[in-house]
Amino acid sequence: MNDLHGILFAYRSDANLGELTRPRNTCSLPFGGRYRLIDFMLSNCVNAGITDVGVVVHQSYQSLLDHLGSGKDWDLSRKHGGLRILPPFSYTELGHGEYRGSMEALAGVYDYLEDIRQDYVLLAWGDIAINLPVAEVFEQHLSSGADITMVCTPTLKGAPRFSEYVEISEEGRITDLSIHPTAADKALESLEVYILSKRLLMDMVDYCSAHDVTNFSRGVLQPRMKSLKMMPYVHRGYVGRFQSVGDYYQRSMDLLDPSIRADLFNPARPIRTKDQSNPSTYYGPDAKSTRSLVADGCFIEGEVENSILARGVIVEKGAKVTDSVLMQGTVVKAGASLSYVIADKDVTVNEGRMLMGHATYPLAIAKGSVV
Amino acid sequence: MKKEVVAMLLAGGQGSRLYALTSNVAKPAVPFGGKYRIIDFPLSNCVNSGIDTVGVLTQYRPLELNGYLGNGQPWDLDRSDGGVHILPPYQREGEQGTWYKGTANAIYQNIGFLDLYQPEYVVVLSGDHIYKMDYSEMVSYHKKAGAACTISVLEVTMEEAKRFGILNVDDGDQVYEFEEKPPQPKSNLASMGIYVFTWSKLRKYLIDDEADPNSSNDFGKNIIPNMLNAGEKLMAYRFHGYWKDVGTIESLWDANMDMLARNSGLDMYDESWPIYARTPIKPPHITGPDASISHSLVTGGCQVDGIVANSVLFNSVTVEKGADIQYSILMPGATVKAGAKVYYSIVAENATVQAEAVVGSAPDGGENWGIAVVAGGVTVGEKAVVSPKAMIREDVKGGEQA
Repeated sequence: MNDLHGILFAYRSDANLGELTRPRNTCSLPFGGRYRLIDFMLSNCVNAGITDVGVVVHQSYQSLLDHLGSGKDWDLSRKHGGLRILPPFSYTELGHGEYRGSMEALAGVYDYLEDIRQDYVLLAWGDIAINLPVAEVFEQHLSSGADITMVCTPTLKGAPRFSEYVEISEEGRITDLSIHPTAADKALESLEVYILSKRLLMDMVDYCSAHDVTNFSRGVLQPRMKSLKMMPYVHRGYVGRFQSVGDYYQRSMDLLDPSIRADLFNPARPIRTKDQSNPSTYYGPDAKSTRSLVADGCFIEGEVENSILARGVIVEKGAKVTDSVLMQGTVVKAGASLSYVIADKDVTVNEGRMLMGHATYPLAIAKGSVV
Repeated sequence: MKKEVVAMLLAGGQGSRLYALTSNVAKPAVPFGGKYRIIDFPLSNCVNSGIDTVGVLTQYRPLELNGYLGNGQPWDLDRSDGGVHILPPYQREGEQGTWYKGTANAIYQNIGFLDLYQPEYVVVLSGDHIYKMDYSEMVSYHKKAGAACTISVLEVTMEEAKRFGILNVDDGDQVYEFEEKPPQPKSNLASMGIYVFTWSKLRKYLIDDEADPNSSNDFGKNIIPNMLNAGEKLMAYRFHGYWKDVGTIESLWDANMDMLARNSGLDMYDESWPIYARTPIKPPHITGPDASISHSLVTGGCQVDGIVANSVLFNSVTVEKGADIQYSILMPGATVKAGAKVYYSIVAENATVQAEAVVGSAPDGGENWGIAVVAGGVTVGEKAVVSPKAMIREDVKGGEQA
């Protein structure tokens, strides 16, 4: 399926994620032991046969660049097309700071959009953990004759004040879209993943930049609800959204559920990530590891229970890690004890320290901290 | 196109002493150490030593090896100039193609390949050794000595020396004699099967050797003795560190167990000398509520809910609740079902040990004891028993003994 082009938005860094998004934007948040959030949507594109993907970035994208590289780990290092990182380049007149909305972001990469070789475009955020059968979404888009297909989930995931909800007519057409309501009273939540034709997208971008409309949902979808045929694609699989530290913790713990893992890491549509050539994980003679997800390259001599350990984590003798999420390079020294903790990359917890959060309020430790 | 150093990796051997493990793959493609295949070691050593042009000579069961090497990208050997080249025997106009008759003949048949790069030096490596080594230091040593050939050697005990090719050297480590498996060794310097040759010299000796109908076209048996007899300067290069030939079931098992020991001399966590591998796309491994894992290596895609001790688990291995794995190697995709016991065994790729089956046993001091091997894709049925040292190539029915 080479008639679909992927555009992933990777410029928002959610303030509610606190320490976790200070050094990076939400798309490059480490998740599931060895992934970054963008791996999911990027792999979804690749698994649907998409060969060209543009990633729209604006600021603090250093870690994203490091991670994506030339795109070879996603088979997107190509002679023609492949992966393109899109920092703002024709974005000169409209002041500074973050993009005010996705239409402004698209206007910022206008030249790139003009050169898209495919007739259809997938627009999506790169910060959702989902194994989405994009090929099926595209098929439905073509067969339904929709102008815009919106991917929705029947199981509400986001906090209402950050989410969008759709209402469906009897014929299955989207008739209303509520944006950031106080309560979620509609049945379907929009994942803000869309398929539309390149021509329609270019029309919209032209219109929006001429009228200083920056927001896709408010500026395009709502006013054109009647004139354009918008159809939902209902995704019944797992969806992980990350709008707060609590979300991040809960979504991480979700991965200990075998049915969620089976859905998200479906071997028929594997989630790809940067290869780091780590050796296997070593468990020492007194190690203990139960109900945990452990990436390669860890060195575990202490106890690990109900936790997620990323690549290269060290848990020394007598240390105890329960109900925690430890990102790459975390070192838990001898006798230290962690529970309900989120340790960002390269955190060191010294000998005998006791750190404790709570299931509803996990303790997040900033990248590189020494406790 | 000219390269100062080109490496030639001999990967055509069947590895017949690995029996069932090499019935479908060449020895260099045999999985090793949880994440690797044997060939990853010499290949990574090349890249880490700054050698960017490597010929891999294949002949026996090359399909899996070819697929594994691909364009060489996992080793950074996907180069626009140089990189990794797979070199099978091929036909030439006006003559019949032949298989590689011996190690020297394999290089002889690829003189054309080497001439493309006009190297000053050729490093000849074998695909069945586990070690980390900086070949560039050996090449500098060779250059400095002005030698025609430098052979890397390991100091072994006099007893072990009887099993190796032994180099007898003078005070300056210049070789004056080479003896294959001497009953009465005069020195303890064992050849590691790693050679640096000055290409112009080697090229001549290869052509002369090919013209000799009585030659077995082998480096150890022919080329090295011929060079010595002709008065060429041969040097011994002393290597200190971990090195293991993994040509037998016992040594392969042993070397895998060494991966568990922090003091074996082979540090896989040392980032200054990484060993690269082509890694399948797998999520992190998962440990279940009843898992008990100690002194073991576990890799991506594994699901462990049983007991795993002193063992090496490759990717996507499943160990169900109540299963007991001790001192064993479970290769990619192996499954051990509930209540089964696997002791001192190698279970190859995608093999299945059904519930309550028993494979292998702890050493009993008897002569008939040995490592049990279950070949790739084979199923050991429910409650079946596989005796130690057994070599299981076909399915074992439930309840039976093999």
